[in-house]
Amino acid sequence: MSFEFSLIIDSIPKMLAGIGITLELLLLSMVIGTILAIFILLMRISNRWYLCWPAMSFIYIFRGTPILIQIFIIYYGFPQFEFIRESIFWPMLREPYGCAVLALTINNAAYVSEIFRGGVNGVDRGYLEAGAALGLSIRQRFIYITAPIAIRLSIPAYSNDVIGLMKATALASTITLLDMMGIARTIVAEYYAPYEIFISLAIIYLIMTWIIQNAFGLLEKRMSRHIRQ
Amino acid sequence: MDVLTGWWDDFFWGSIVILQVFLVALVMMVLFGLIGAAAKLSNSRIAQKLASAYTVIFRGTPELLVLLLIYYGSAIFLTNLFQLFDPSIKFVDIPPFWAGSFSIALIVGSYAAETFRGAFLGVDPGQIEAARALGISNFNTFIYVRIPEMWRLALPAFGNHMLSLIKDTALISIIGLNETMYAAEQAAGTTSKPFTMFIVAGCIYLGFSTVITLSVMLLEKRANKHLVGSR
Amino acid sequence: MINSVTSSEPIIRLKDVDKFFGGFQALKKINLNVEKGERIVVCGPSGSGKSTMIRCINRLEQHNAGHIIVNGHELTDQVKDIDAVRREVGMVFQSFNLFPHLSIIDNLMLAPKLVRKTPKPKAREQAMSMLERVRIPEQADKYPSQLSGGQQQRVAIARSLCMNPEIMLFDEPTSALDPEMINEVLEVMTDLAKEGMTMICVTHEMGFARSVADAVIFMDEGEIVERNTPEEFFNNPKSDRTKLFLSQILAH
Repeated sequence: MSFEFSLIIDSIPKMLAGIGITLELLLLSMVIGTILAIFILLMRISNRWYLCWPAMSFIYIFRGTPILIQIFIIYYGFPQFEFIRESIFWPMLREPYGCAVLALTINNAAYVSEIFRGGVNGVDRGYLEAGAALGLSIRQRFIYITAPIAIRLSIPAYSNDVIGLMKATALASTITLLDMMGIARTIVAEYYAPYEIFISLAIIYLIMTWIIQNAFGLLEKRMSRHIRQ
Repeated sequence: MDVLTGWWDDFFWGSIVILQVFLVALVMMVLFGLIGAAAKLSNSRIAQKLASAYTVIFRGTPELLVLLLIYYGSAIFLTNLFQLFDPSIKFVDIPPFWAGSFSIALIVGSYAAETFRGAFLGVDPGQIEAARALGISNFNTFIYVRIPEMWRLALPAFGNHMLSLIKDTALISIIGLNETMYAAEQAAGTTSKPFTMFIVAGCIYLGFSTVITLSVMLLEKRANKHLVGSR
Repeated sequence: MINSVTSSEPIIRLKDVDKFFGGFQALKKINLNVEKGERIVVCGPSGSGKSTMIRCINRLEQHNAGHIIVNGHELTDQVKDIDAVRREVGMVFQSFNLFPHLSIIDNLMLAPKLVRKTPKPKAREQAMSMLERVRIPEQADKYPSQLSGGQQQRVAIARSLCMNPEIMLFDEPTSALDPEMINEVLEVMTDLAKEGMTMICVTHEMGFARSVADAVIFMDEGEIVERNTPEEFFNNPKSDRTKLFLSQILAH
């Protein structure tokens, strides 16, 4: 058994050809998922049962099942239904790309809304009482006091979530999408050299993780400048 | 529901496999986590470096990639090894059950190492000092003071690790383990009702997650019962 | 000037107020009238309901029975009345509760901008003058965590004053402070009292009570046990519970 460096050198550019798809999946599902998460959060913390319950079930279902199943349900499962195949969403749901984005977005939204809820719950009640005593309305307290503090509190968990999301994009390869992971799997199938290919790919993912971590680290530092003496 | 006739068996045995993988991986995960945490807390710089490399690598690499690397990597290694003795052998692999359990335990163990380390450090040093001052031996302090407190601190995160484990078992179907997800794929392929089949698999997983979540809630209640009423 | 009796309605009026936390009764048939310009000090053992009482006055807690009328508004579920009362009533907390993500000046400007719709330059001008009043204008651009406890509490007082309140409530404003910082806060409160602000202070600073208060109220187990002038309260307390409390608090 030998470690073939020439194979690594050949295959890294091939795998990097898929980084665009990996990053697109990551960014799209991160941004849309975060926006969706805000709505779910607002529903979840509302006092009205008809808003709160759907949000709770949504979070419960999508955090309680593997993403792989969610991807398969959307990609393989949805076409079972006539009305989906005739709907305006079909062009998107027909493509593995659209299915992967949809699954990752929904899954991420469920996680992020809980992260934000943790941040909201972490806001000291005293600040809100001070806001109330100054005559700020509930909405003003949420926008000007709760939200900024909660966002800062959420950053470390959010950063971990983005890393988790990046790792989850690799699952798109199971529905024939040629992201970095998909390309790696085809190369491995061809040359049967799992060590070389998969370790090189792992290094690429580790570098991306490192970048994400540091980017959020800087952001957190910036947003916590008021904490430091 | 008619379409499911004939498939219930597969789903049932698939669930049993999930449970087996989960339990095996849980034991390994705790082991890896404890070793990792011990290395992080040790005085040896090499052990610390190795442990942090462990965390960094498995936190930053997709689960699927780790699984495929370990499964195919070990298969290549074993095949080469066995061919030294008997060149007629074509392919030797670690059974997907073990390769899979080992992989997901390794992945989740890297998170658990951090959790256990945090819980160890989270114990109020004042309590340890108090135990020392009372003349309790180091060993007994560890068993009667530190472990119960660590357990309480680590429980919520540990519950999440168990949820990750159960959900990661779904990945093992990709390397051919005959579990629920695999059953769903087979059923989806032959019945042309993929949605129904994957929904059934999803419900099974949701059931497992629910049981874990509820158990952790109960355990937390028990572990925190002495805190009732105080803030 | 003491107990200047006017023919007008009292500015704060509590009538038969009850408050429950679950099965625990925190306030029992509380009756209290406060005239405009009056300075009241409330003391009592912990758990006696004194914080709960003043927190009911701006509805941080909801009372379960009785009536609370503040500056002509009865506190009910009507959001309009609650907002009106909160605009006129300032509150200073034990733990300061300055907004950690806003600089000092922004802490002071937030409520005037949002609630009173004061234009920004005017709000800033007013905030600066309040900071001068509490003697820390040089800290305007710092963040709360960069200030000492005493400075933070003075900022908190200034923040309330920016809303031009008719009434100020103080909930143990010096309890969280190191001893050497207590005086700087009490001085600011004394200045405020001299300017004729209506004040209710929950505090154990008996020196402050003696020199500033028009009346001292002693609470125990959710009831107002005694209300008296400071001299009478300290020299000649009426109830045994007051005597016991005073002997404990003045002993050290």
